[in-house]
Amino acid sequence: MTKAGTKDSSPTETLSRTEVKLGGVWRVVVLNDPVNLMSYVMMVFKKIFGFNETVARRHMLEVHEQGRSVVWSGLREKAEAYVYTLQQWHLTAVVELDETH
Amino acid sequence: MKRIEVKLSLPVVAPLLDVIRQLADGLGQKLAAPQDFGDIDQEFRDAWVGDLLNGQSKDVKALLALFDDEFFAEGIVAFDEDNAEPIVRACAAVRLRLREVYLKGLDDDALEGGEVELEQMSEAMRKAFMCYLFLATVQELIIQHLDSSIIES
Repeated sequence: MTKAGTKDSSPTETLSRTEVKLGGVWRVVVLNDPVNLMSYVMMVFKKIFGFNETVARRHMLEVHEQGRSVVWSGLREKAEAYVYTLQQWHLTAVVELDETH
Repeated sequence: MKRIEVKLSLPVVAPLLDVIRQLADGLGQKLAAPQDFGDIDQEFRDAWVGDLLNGQSKDVKALLALFDDEFFAEGIVAFDEDNAEPIVRACAAVRLRLREVYLKGLDDDALEGGEVELEQMSEAMRKAFMCYLFLATVQELIIQHLDSSIIES
């Protein structure tokens, strides 16, 4: 599984202007479900994105309270790979274009 | 290798296994969690779903393998660094199917908070809810004792 190393904040890749111009910036969004345990969701975030406890908890609570959390943003191909991995763990996740870029 | 053994109550858990097996069978053909694949082309989507289903089936086999002869003789199941990850995922998959098939009538808040009236449930629904709680307990046990193995694997 892909690991991005421990981060102190949400991981957003530094992209070159060319990359952004060609493909845009894509977000990985995790959506809430009433079934998966909070501890499970945190564990999955830590495993896939390398989040530390604090960041994993923040994203988990965002999903729980606001219904969604942007857990990663960057190139589309990598965003899709993250979504696939989240789906392997039975989290509901989508890729969406970040239109602010 | 880190390993935990848990002694379960056979009279409580054995009757739940039929429900778990029945739902587990269906997980070879259907994803546990509904997914929106957006504008991904059909061929890529089919391959994507096929891979997810394949992984899901393997995970479910690991969960069902817990309930072997040793379980029926002693009531003991064992979790270790090899089976923890597929089992914790399979529990999530079966819990999602339990929700979809048997527990649809419960609203999200009641389900999340565990505030349900068991007496008002049908026999089938009560059994499904007991499975739902049992699998959550298995997940909690694994996360509590083996989460570092999973995160670092």
